Formats: sequence, C-alpha cells, structure tokens
Amino acid sequence: MTTSTPSTTRSAAARPADRAAGASRSRSHVSRRLRRIPWISCAIAAVFCVLWAFPVYWMVNTAFKPQSEMLSSTPHFLPQNPTLDNFFRAVGQGNFLVYLQNSVIVVAGAVIFSIVLGLFAAAALSRFRFRGRRTIMVFLLIVQMLPGTALLIPQFLIFNSLNLLDTYWGLMFAYVAGVLPFSIWVMRGFFLAIPVELDEAARIDGASTWQVLTKILFPLVMPGIIASSVFAFIASWNDYIIAYTFMKDQAHYTLPVWLASFSTASGGQIGTDYGGQMAGATLFSIPVVVFFMIIQRNLVSGMSAGAVKG
Amino acid sequence: MAIKKIAVVGAFSVASLLVLSACSSGGGSDGASGGGDETITVWAMDGDYTPETLDAINAEFTEATGAEVDVQVQTWDGITTKISTALATNTPPDILDVGNTQVASYAANGGLLDLTDQADDLAQGHTWLDGLVDPATIDGQLYAVPGFAGARAVIYNKQMWADAGVTAVPTTYEELTAALDKVKAANADTSDFSAFYLPGQYWFGGLQFVWDAGGEIAEQDGDEWTSGFGSPEAIEGLEAFKEFQTSYSSAASATLNTLEPNQNQIFADGKTSAILNTNVSGILTANPEMTEDDLGTFPMPGLSGDTQPVMLGGSNWAIPAKSQNSELALEWVKIAASPEIQEDYVYGVDGWIPNSSEGIEAAQATLSDVKKGFFDAALNSKATPPNPNWTTIESNKDVEGLFSSIASGSQSVEDAAESFDTAADQTLNGE
Amino acid sequence: MVTSLAPAPPRRPAGSPRGRLPRSTRPSLAPLWLLSPAGLVLLCVTIAPIVFLVYISFTDYDQRTLFTGEYSVVGVDQYAAILSDSEFWLSLLRTVVFTATLVGGSVLIGAGMSHLMTRLPTVMRYVVTVVLILAWAMPNVASSLIWKWLFQPQYGVVNWLVTQTGVVGDITSVNWAADPQLAWVCIWLLVVWQAVPFIALTLYAAETQVPLERKEAARLDGASEFSVYRVVVLPALKPTMLLVTMLSIIWDFNVFNQIWLVSAGGPDRATSTLGVFTYTTAFSGNVQIGAGSAIAVASTAILLVLSVLYIRNLVRSGEEL
Repeated sequence: MTTSTPSTTRSAAARPADRAAGASRSRSHVSRRLRRIPWISCAIAAVFCVLWAFPVYWMVNTAFKPQSEMLSSTPHFLPQNPTLDNFFRAVGQGNFLVYLQNSVIVVAGAVIFSIVLGLFAAAALSRFRFRGRRTIMVFLLIVQMLPGTALLIPQFLIFNSLNLLDTYWGLMFAYVAGVLPFSIWVMRGFFLAIPVELDEAARIDGASTWQVLTKILFPLVMPGIIASSVFAFIASWNDYIIAYTFMKDQAHYTLPVWLASFSTASGGQIGTDYGGQMAGATLFSIPVVVFFMIIQRNLVSGMSAGAVKG
Repeated sequence: MAIKKIAVVGAFSVASLLVLSACSSGGGSDGASGGGDETITVWAMDGDYTPETLDAINAEFTEATGAEVDVQVQTWDGITTKISTALATNTPPDILDVGNTQVASYAANGGLLDLTDQADDLAQGHTWLDGLVDPATIDGQLYAVPGFAGARAVIYNKQMWADAGVTAVPTTYEELTAALDKVKAANADTSDFSAFYLPGQYWFGGLQFVWDAGGEIAEQDGDEWTSGFGSPEAIEGLEAFKEFQTSYSSAASATLNTLEPNQNQIFADGKTSAILNTNVSGILTANPEMTEDDLGTFPMPGLSGDTQPVMLGGSNWAIPAKSQNSELALEWVKIAASPEIQEDYVYGVDGWIPNSSEGIEAAQATLSDVKKGFFDAALNSKATPPNPNWTTIESNKDVEGLFSSIASGSQSVEDAAESFDTAADQTLNGE
Repeated sequence: MVTSLAPAPPRRPAGSPRGRLPRSTRPSLAPLWLLSPAGLVLLCVTIAPIVFLVYISFTDYDQRTLFTGEYSVVGVDQYAAILSDSEFWLSLLRTVVFTATLVGGSVLIGAGMSHLMTRLPTVMRYVVTVVLILAWAMPNVASSLIWKWLFQPQYGVVNWLVTQTGVVGDITSVNWAADPQLAWVCIWLLVVWQAVPFIALTLYAAETQVPLERKEAARLDGASEFSVYRVVVLPALKPTMLLVTMLSIIWDFNVFNQIWLVSAGGPDRATSTLGVFTYTTAFSGNVQIGAGSAIAVASTAILLVLSVLYIRNLVRSGEEL
C-alpha cells in the first residue's frame, strides 16, 4: 500500500495539468482511429451498455405502464398507453414528501457530522505521531469487519433506553456510527498523499497548526472530502434495515422503508403494486442519479488520487 | 488560536442547530405522541379492515371520548419484528391488530395487557369464536379481543366451469376432481393453465389436506410439544395434497406462493378456473370487469367425506402492556368488537365473518351466495398450535418450505415431513 | 480510545521514503483536540454499543427481556449453542464464499470494462460512462426491488427473455427466489451490477495515467491485448486495484439489503449470510437478542483471526506512514 505511482502526489493538487495531458492524448487517439475503428471493442461495449442499462430502462418503462400492460405474459418494451397513474399512486402511498424530508434531514445530518468529525480525526491520524495512533487505526479497521447488523442490536437497546428510537437523532447517530470510521480511513489516505514538506514550509513561515490545517491541508484534501461524503451519503441514503427497525411511527419512515412497503401494500390482495413501486423507485433515484452525474468527475479523479495512499 | 477554536465550536453549534431545528420541525408534524388533545395510535394490518370500517370505529370513539385516533396501516412482511421492537419501547402503539396465530408469543412474554378482568364487558353478551379466543388465551388469561374471522373456500369461475360442462356445485371430493378433470380437458390448449391453482407454498391450503386426513400440526403432552407431520395420518394428507396439487395446478406453481404472482391476479387473468381464498374482493379489484355473479364459492370437500377443516384465520385486537393510554385503548377495542360494528361494518362492509357465534347467526339472513361458501367453510375449522414459539416457525417460512418441497418433488413426503418435524420439535420446545 | 500524547519520535522511521510527520519535537495538543470530537462520538455510538453487545451475548436477552426488562446472565451458553449449530458455520461459509465470488466477479468485470474504455472512441466511452453512473447511482433498495420485478415468476421480463432464447426451455414461471442456486445467482447479478461501475470508473481514471506510449510500444512488439494489460497496465494500477479490492471486500461482506429484499435469506436459509442470520435471530420470530449478539461477536472474532495476517500487514504499513 505504500508504493506510489509517478503522478500520485501531483494529481490531487494539479488536476488541470492532467486534463491538458488527457486532451492531447485523445487528439492522438482520433488520428489513429481514422485508420482503425475498434469495432470489436465497440461491440463489446454496446452489449455491456445494453445489459447494464436494462434494469434502469425497465424500471422507467414499467413506471409509465398501466396495470394491464404490466401484467401481460408477453412484455411490452414500450408502454402502449403511457400513463402517470403509477406516479400519482406512488406519491399518494403514505406521504412521499414527509419521507423525502426525513431522508434528507437524517442523511444530511449524518454526512455533515461524519465528514466534519472525520476530517479532523483523519488530520490527526495522518499528520501527528502520538501514542495510541496505531491502536486507533486498528480499531477503525476492525469496526469495518463487524457485520452491519451487529451494531444494530446494542444500538437498538441503548437508544431505546435513551428514548432515541423513532427520532431523527437516533437514526442519524446510527448512520454516523456506520460511516464515520470509514470516512476517517478514506480521508486519511488523502492526507497522506499530500507531501509533508508543504506543512513544514508553512510552519517555517510561522503558521499555527490550525492555519496549516485550514489554509493548506483542507483545501488540498477536497477531493477526499467529496469522495468520503459520497460514500457516507450512499451508505446512509440506502439504509433500509436500521430505519426499518428504529422508526416505529410511519411519519418517521425514510424513503427506502417507504419504497419497500409497496411489497405487500394495496390490500394484500393483489400482491406487490409493481407499477407504483417502479414509479416510486424512479422518483427515489432521480435526485441521486443527477447528483452523481454532476460530481462523478470529481469523485473518480479524487478516488484515484487518494487510492495510492489507501 | 483561541479565536480559531471558538470558530470551530461555533461552526459546530451552527451545524448542530441546523440539524436540531430540522428535527424539531419534523418531529412537530406527527403530533401523535405530543401533548394537547389525547390521541391514541392504532396499528391495523394491511388488508384486514377497510378504511370505511376503521373510520366508523374512530368516529364513534371520538364522539364517546373526545380523543383522536391515528391509524397506521402496517404491511405483513416482517410484522413480527415491527411489533416486537415497538412493544419494547416506552411509547408503543396503543392498539394492535394481531393475527390470531401470533398473539401467543407477545402475550406469553409479557408484551400485552391482560384483559381477563374486562373480558365480560368487552364481549358485550356475545360468545366469541373459539378459533379466535383460544389462541389469545394463555394460561387462562385473555390477552386479545377477537376482531374478525376468515375461512378459506373454493372460489371458481362459473363461466369456465359451465363451458367445460360442469353444472352442479361439487359436494364431495370425487365430484370436485371430476369437475376439475373436465375443466382441465376443456382448457388443455391454454398454456400454463391450472384447473385449480394451488401454489406449493400455500401452507394454509396444504394444511387442510393434512387435517382432513386426521393429522395434526403438533401435539402437546404436558410441557412437551411434538410436531405431527410424520404421523401416518399426516403423511396420508400430505400425499393427497401432492396428488391434488400436481394434478390440477400448473407445474410452475409448485414452488410459488400466493402473493407473487398473486393468485387473485392469475384467477382474474383466466389462467385458472378455481382458487382457495378467504374472500373475492381481490379478484374483483384485479379484474374490474368481473362481478360477484361470475363467481361461485363452496367449502373444499375432503377425502374424509366431510368438508376439509379450514384454518380459521382472523385477527384480534390487543393492547400493549406499556401503552400510555390503555384506558382509551380499551374503549376503542370495545367499540371495534361491538355487535353493531361487527354486523354493519366487519361483516357488512368488509365481508368478514363476525367475531361471535351470535354475529354469524345474525349474518345468515343477509348472506349472499358468494359469501355463504366462506361461512359454510368456517363451520369446520381448526387453528395453529397455541404455542408461543409457533410465530418463529411462521416467520421462518418453514411450513411454506415443507409444502413446496413436497409439491415440487424436491423431497419425498416422508423426508420433508421428518426434517420439518425435527426442526419444529426444537423450536416449539424452545430449544 | 487512547488520547494520551507522547512527544513525536526523534527520528523518522527508516523504511519511509519521504518524511510524513512534522519534525517538530515539541509535544502538541493538536491531535487531542482534533481527535476528541470524533472520539467522543465513536465512544457513544460504536464503542459503548460493542461493549454492550459483548455483554448481552453472555445473557439470555430475548423477547421477554424486551418487553419486561428481565434477563439473566448465562455465561457461555449462547456461544456453546451457536458454535454447535451447523447453521452458524454454514452462514459463515456462505458469507465468505459469497463475498469472494462477488469481489472476484465485480473486480474482473470492472477491470475488463475500464481497459475496454481506454480503447473506445470518445462518444462510445461517454455512453459507457453514463450507463455506469446510472447503475452506480441507483439506490440499492430501488435496484433490489427492480430485480424482484425483473425476475418475477410469470410476468418477469428476464424469465421471458431467457425463454425466448430457447436455450433452457420455458422458464416464465420459475421463481428465482425460491430456488437456492437461482436465488444466489439473482443476488450475485444484482450486487455485481451495482459494484462494477465504481470499480470500472476508478480503474479507468487510474489507467488514463499510464503513458499511452508504453502500451503502444508493447502492442507494436506484437503483444496480445491481455499481455499488454498484464505487463504494462496492471503494475501501474496495483495501488488502485488494491484499494478497490479492499473496498469491495468491505462492502460485499456487508451486503444486506439486496439479500433481505430479494430472498430474505431464503429459501430455507440458503441465502442467509452472517448479517441476515444475525438479524433474523435477533429480531425475527422470537427475538433472541442474546443469541443474535453471540453470533455477531463470534463471527467477528473468527473473521479477525482469519484476517490477522492482513491486519498485521496494514498495521505495519501504518507504522511506516
């Protein structure tokens, strides 16, 4: 884990340079491609795209279908009579906006908490040498090995006695518990990728520890902050079982719990309302997909930069 | 440095405040557990009562007490987890709609309020059905009040049967199989057609064959429970189930359950001419072009010559031991169990079998042809063992596995019964 | 958590290629105040629960306890029961095998995809990127439910498509979740589908850093595409590859939603991994929280022992840093 590639230390700090390099590379690609288009590669990629996009396409397709088209023995690959009924039914199932609000509050809280706390802790673990540091690192690793549902048991009992179940705080702390060790671990990798000479130079210029952190280090680990925020976001936004176990009042459900509740809904008599469920899944996914499309460049370049010092 | 630290603390407090304010604004919206006017929370199970019935109970309750009701409809999947965790908290729901087979485990472990002293008051002069009261009675103490009962009967498509030349409603097992043979022959061209759709995981259906042959799920001798699927009678019943299932239900159905794909949907789509179910409303919802007149019902006849004993399903109203509003909850339950609500709504609107024998008698007068089949079926009923650990077997879906492995032939009847019994003996005796 | 401070070591560790720690020798309070907020929170939400978890694993905490608070300490009874229960060992085995096949499958496909992307024309590459992000961004509860719908008996489109190919006969009514092998296949596909994008995109970003000239040179020498990848690309990708593999292990080991929502650990516990086994023991049916805790503690302990070498390595590299 200590090997470093030639470009590592540079890429976190100097991405524009990489981009320029990438641009010149793709120009040379173009000229070559005029001579030889990689048909086989394109074909494989096309098959891959169809396979990988199919589930999402099928979700959207189903969401717009009336019930009769959905339950037909020969599937329709496009809705014959597109309808928005499924969306209305999905939003009408309980209170969509309340669940959205619950999810946003709890997840935002958990992400902010774990990133802010994790940033400081990662700085300490990467920039200072003190007794117990190794113990902490080992602890952070071991926590990752607990099955996700293991912590759920004691948290449930403890939060119950503190009357924290069925509250935003309880759920948020449960998410922080799951996410914080991982965030510290990931961000520490990003700190380590920054040459320590930078701090030392600043110190010689008389900067305080705090100034070194805020003026020099934090801006440089921004890709790491983004990357770990995204991981923290994914982990808590996707959680189903903790929210399901903790939240008793339906007004406190989060979106995943709401979505899964379609399984046996609508009277238990007609089974899963797949149209409504797929419409709900579409609504649930759109914001995340948009968000991912926007940040993906940062995330991926950030990850590969931090990767080198995992 | 000190100033910077203050900045950190400040930033933290702002962040916390933001979250906190968001919390309180969100928390304020539920209002259910808050102060002010009293509100009780009722957990009703999905598909049990129509909103109309619940509204009627709530209206009467609010008029009598001035308190409000927050009804939360719960889905069946994972309900034992949901209820167990809710009962653990200091603010559980005030009233639970609990399946009659599930009362025992919550009651035996102290989760539910003992209603023995109020029993006479709650019964309001009527005699509750044994199939509902017995599982709610642990060591002679009553822990839940019967809400409604449901029994499974054969629902068939009149048109399809007439087209196949079946004119009389079968009253014996032989007549039923003869009718199904005709239907099967008449629809031989339809792919995946089932004369009688009985999916393999449908343990309520399979149990009827076992009971009809004289088998029992489990028997109690002192403190010791013995699972009974290995008995000669039960094996005979399981064989009969296998034979019926493989003869009249599509091969694919051997590993399926009744929900996915939904048997009502399959019936509504014309892929089967008959199913076993507790009511016809699901079929009518799935195919709005069908009416009650298109459907016929009758109790499933058994090889024994009698109708097959049915599993008396149903629900009871229970009050959690830690309920903060048990007085009000009692009041609500009393209304829900009252003869008026039972007759006008539980029977009249929802179409369920009322909770008392007097209720059933009163209903006979207005019974439509379609409903009659279910009421007749209920006359010969049984229940699951009144064992607190039975819930575990139900939630593990072990029984589904037993019947589906028999139907699909993945295990022989004897092997399947034996492996189920071995596991069930342990579970039932709490090992 | 240890927060006591010691003066920074007088000399840098010999193995370190570059200085990583400030040279200042004066004891600093900085680590203390940097660590204590996270430390306090972890103490409350992670360490205390773990200690409590270990404690309840020695009790008979069950549904009765949940409702009434009564329980008794039963020593190692729970552990004796768990360790002699074949279901526990089966879950452990399943978890390990499942994690291994998931990590193997997704890293292989992801690496293949990332390499393919470097050879695609810009437009095609852009399409692939969008598709990958689409699959990656789907919340896994949503994708699990999509899966159930895709693989639904009778109306599921996958069943229909596979039937159309005519290879395996009519499977329109096959219930994937009810067959032990098919349920695994179904869940495996789901998890891999979502895991590949992150791996592919990360490896692709890393692979673009490999000088193109080196690859071209190897190709001109007549090396097959596979040997180009093995000899030129792979060594350069090693750190990134290690990172995505490790993240995959952590994530795939903790897969829960997908299993829970698709098969709920069934049929007949065939897909019950440690996480599912712990949850069902502790919270389903009779709520045997004591037993569930013992499963969690025992399995973590076993996995720790299994991975002790790996941790030793990490600790050692941590020391160098």
